[in-house]
Amino acid sequence: MERILRSQKMAEIVLLPVRHHSPACAYHVKRMIDRLRPGVILVEGPDNADPLIPVMVHEDTKAPFAIYYSYHDQAGLISQEKEHYKCYYPFLDYSPELAAFRAGKELGIETAFIDLSYGDILAASREGRGLLRAEEEKSNYNDDYLLSRNEYLRQLCEKTGLRSFDEFWEKYFELNGIEEESECWFGNLLTYCALARENTPPELMEEDGCLARERHMARRIREYAERPETADGIVAAVTGGFHTPGLKALLEEMPENGTGAEKVPEKDQGVYLMPYSMEAADALNGYASGMPFPGFYQRIWQGLQETETPYADGVLDMIVTAGKETRRKEGYLSTYDEICACAMAEGLAQLRGKRQPGAYELLDAVLASFVKGEYNIATDAPMRFLRKAMTGNEVGALCRQADVPPIIHDFQEQCRRFGIKTGSTLEAEATLSIFANPRHRFYSMFLNRMNYLKTAFARKIKGPNLQLKRDRNLMREIWKYKWSVQVNSALIEVSVYGATVEEAAVSLVKEALKKEIGARESALLLTEVFEMGLTEQLQPVYDRVHELMLGDTDFYSLAEAVKSLLMMEELAGLYDSRMAFGELIHIGCRKLISLLPAMAKIKDEDLNACMNALKLLYQVTGREGEDFAREREDYYDVLEKMTLDTEIHPGLNGCIHGILYGSGREDAGETEAVCRGYLEGTREQLFSTARFFRGLFFTARDLVFIGEQFIRMLDDFFGQVGQEEFMELLPELRMAFTYFTPREIDKIAGAAAGLHGKSGRDILQRKEIYPDWYAYGKELDAYVRGKMQRKG
Amino acid sequence: MEQKFIKPPVEVRYREELEALKANDTGNRPENWQMSPRAVRTFILGSSKPLVCGGKEYIIEKKYFGNDALVERCIVTLAGNRGLMLVGEPGTAKTMLSELLSAAVSGVSTNTIQGTAGTTEDMIKYSWNYALLLAKGPSREALVPSPLYVGMEKGILTRFEEITRTPAEIQDSLISVLSDKVLNVPELGDEGFLFARPGFNVIGTANTRDKGVNEMSSALKRRFNFETVMPVREASMEKRIIVNEVNRLAEESHISVQADEDVAEILASTYHELREGVSSHGHRIDKPSSVMSTAEAVSVYYQAMITGYYYGDGTLSMDSLVQTLVGAVSKENKDDLEKVRGYFNTVIRDKSSKEGGLWKEYYEARKWLK
Repeated sequence: MERILRSQKMAEIVLLPVRHHSPACAYHVKRMIDRLRPGVILVEGPDNADPLIPVMVHEDTKAPFAIYYSYHDQAGLISQEKEHYKCYYPFLDYSPELAAFRAGKELGIETAFIDLSYGDILAASREGRGLLRAEEEKSNYNDDYLLSRNEYLRQLCEKTGLRSFDEFWEKYFELNGIEEESECWFGNLLTYCALARENTPPELMEEDGCLARERHMARRIREYAERPETADGIVAAVTGGFHTPGLKALLEEMPENGTGAEKVPEKDQGVYLMPYSMEAADALNGYASGMPFPGFYQRIWQGLQETETPYADGVLDMIVTAGKETRRKEGYLSTYDEICACAMAEGLAQLRGKRQPGAYELLDAVLASFVKGEYNIATDAPMRFLRKAMTGNEVGALCRQADVPPIIHDFQEQCRRFGIKTGSTLEAEATLSIFANPRHRFYSMFLNRMNYLKTAFARKIKGPNLQLKRDRNLMREIWKYKWSVQVNSALIEVSVYGATVEEAAVSLVKEALKKEIGARESALLLTEVFEMGLTEQLQPVYDRVHELMLGDTDFYSLAEAVKSLLMMEELAGLYDSRMAFGELIHIGCRKLISLLPAMAKIKDEDLNACMNALKLLYQVTGREGEDFAREREDYYDVLEKMTLDTEIHPGLNGCIHGILYGSGREDAGETEAVCRGYLEGTREQLFSTARFFRGLFFTARDLVFIGEQFIRMLDDFFGQVGQEEFMELLPELRMAFTYFTPREIDKIAGAAAGLHGKSGRDILQRKEIYPDWYAYGKELDAYVRGKMQRKG
Repeated sequence: MEQKFIKPPVEVRYREELEALKANDTGNRPENWQMSPRAVRTFILGSSKPLVCGGKEYIIEKKYFGNDALVERCIVTLAGNRGLMLVGEPGTAKTMLSELLSAAVSGVSTNTIQGTAGTTEDMIKYSWNYALLLAKGPSREALVPSPLYVGMEKGILTRFEEITRTPAEIQDSLISVLSDKVLNVPELGDEGFLFARPGFNVIGTANTRDKGVNEMSSALKRRFNFETVMPVREASMEKRIIVNEVNRLAEESHISVQADEDVAEILASTYHELREGVSSHGHRIDKPSSVMSTAEAVSVYYQAMITGYYYGDGTLSMDSLVQTLVGAVSKENKDDLEKVRGYFNTVIRDKSSKEGGLWKEYYEARKWLK
């Protein structure tokens, strides 16, 4: 705690250093405010969120919730790309900032945020630093990284024998902290923060936007302190401990009326409250800047108001919870195990010099006492249950007065338009005749857009799937949808991208276009845009696909893209699109043929994809008219060349020979000769015959039915392999025969049996069953069943 | 210290440190413990503050590398009502940890049952001196106590090495002793009840992955707290262990050679990468099936070192290091050698071309991989 004493012009300023999310800190902040009764409470946080404060402290609002900040860089202040940015500022019951606001409400004290707005912070940060760091999926406003990651701290942990900053913090500030006097506690924290700051290079602070923020905060604090109505009171400023020394220096030295750093226009920024969950707040769930074990510390926070030993009680609670869950799900664990775990936690606390056992003793106790046998995935269930309990499962709620971004209004408007009820959280179903009924097509577009925004609002149960290229013959879509608070949260998250669902989808598509993707992904995107009915976006996406197809050299990616395009060309009439896909298909086709010669020596796992691509090319180049005449010639030339490669993959070889046979460039005799080559080759080549057959049957299964040469060859082949080898080849052979219809297989079997002097029927060799035998059996069955039932 | 044994017990080797710790110990001692739990922790995990005893300063060195929290859990378990079971792959210093714990807690690490497939129940409980039994009849005098019996009688720790090698029904003879803390000797009649004194507990060590181990019964498992000892996960720490241990072995055998840091680093990274299946440069490596433990790396280094000392020019050559490595990895499976060869031909080759020097020599010694 730092005091800047009253001067003629200014009220006394008290700087309260805090760590975001800390029960002890929230406790001391509340006590300090109670004692000081300041005239105004200022809290670190972007000041454009001031209008949200009444909602945050409303009695119907339940933590955890988060302030969502968004910024659309339309002015290009951050980069030329003019991108969208967003970040979260989560609040839990034990966040000192929230405790300060709540204390303010209770005592009737004015409260306000004092930091730069989110857009301005971004503008003040160097690329890739501070809130512009790209490593995290969810950027967090109140990241403690300056306090928790530095060389000084690493040495401190090593010296005190503690595992991490979080354990260090718990031992010295939480466990010991709740019994200390508030002044003393803030004093200790300030010492730690000052040392952490000394070990952070000033350039780093400048790059992170930290110094610009401090200048702004100092100016705001000074403004409040100079107001006549607070002049004879106290101004309390609750800020991250790392900033406190900087603020003090600025407040004591700063010349009056420094220039403002705000330059980001208000209209490009959004700020909303959204419900948050404990899971999202947990640092251990991959959000690097959260705090570990929010559920556990929530329990401690509640305990702080009730008992003398919140930690011991909380640890006991968690042990019992994890124990109960283990007993229920794993079927072992006795009360004695729980007693041992408690004793272990107590013992470890004593050994480690902690007043009460904390989170780390709890984890150690459950690990030692609950896990039986070697610790691995099979035995770690108790630890999983404990972790879950320590994370907590609470989800926050907002009061009715909370403002929502325009995208939610648009969502509700659209729901009204299509008669979707959002009041209930029950799942409902909608059947849409998308091609017959224009309204249904719009309905489907809306749901597809919601899906694209990842809102988890609706899912398609049935209907054409353009991404997987399945069920294209279906004329109707069946959707299931369900509204929940999470849908609103998800919409708030994308609200930066636009004021309506359509706008947001369009912006996200544009964003996706900028990413490094291949032809396959771009064609998939085209299908999505197609389904979402974003007609204006079709052209840019189309252009991008064009560009990527020219640049992509991945054979399979191109083949997939061509396949998607072909499908869209077929469906264009139904979806009422006027795009000309023909040209793209042409380009793709030419590129595929040019890449083809390199594909001769593929790996086994690529065989399927490669065969499909060859078949696709066969279909495309086989189209009527002169459009593809040149490609057709090239295609067959390349195929013929490929067959001359002696190291060609046998499956592919078969596939190519099938195509050549189908196109009339090769007669059955030639194909047969190649096949015989494998059959009569060395032992290893003989085994390749199965793969050769698989390829051949994929493209030209009718070969088998002309004459009996092929069946004879198959028969020879089976004659040559032993039983064990046959078992090894069986999967490959099964694959080969899946291309035949059951009737065809029957025919082949009949012909094969003929070679051995039997008829097709003989193979089945089932004795006929006379009707009276069957009747007798049935009777017997019923009799036995009756007897058994009577006996019970 | 006069050395008369190949490997003196821990309490002899660290006698002075233990005395210094006891003299400076101010914490509460559980009954019959030689020192407080906190002093036991310091003994095993070391302390940077020197201790003064008898006018001499002692720096307590760190003896167990790896997981500090695990050591703390072990100490608390021993002070409680349950036994301590250390499980894990071979060569992860389970036995060393159990020796250190018993030496610090009870002052003696030799009260040990060595479990084998041939261990019988009387080796665990008690047997008889038959001459005395015939002469005097069943009496305490004629009874030959087992380490378990001694532990209960004196209130000290009993170590049970390789518990899973003994047949499951023999292991189970521990169950009632551990829960009731009493051993009944029916032959002695009314006086045949041995009640355990405070300070008694059991530390078991067990391999989970080796061939020839028996599963423990759930009833026995319930009476132990399990601690899984993991192999060292950092190559730098592994190197430190190799250097420390090799120097200690050399000192004990009066060999005046010190371990070479660079060689230890090469060996540590070889063991580390083969165990993890991925190299520091991100190559994927086929993992050998035999155990690539740190203890194994120490013995490979030491053996190569003494080969150089007795048969060579006194220094360790990369040739002899690779030769010893061959012996160490090709114990169980012939394919392992192939995997190590593959490792040399990819990872070591790259490193030798980048780093040169010793790495190059190491790579050239691959000719012995056969």
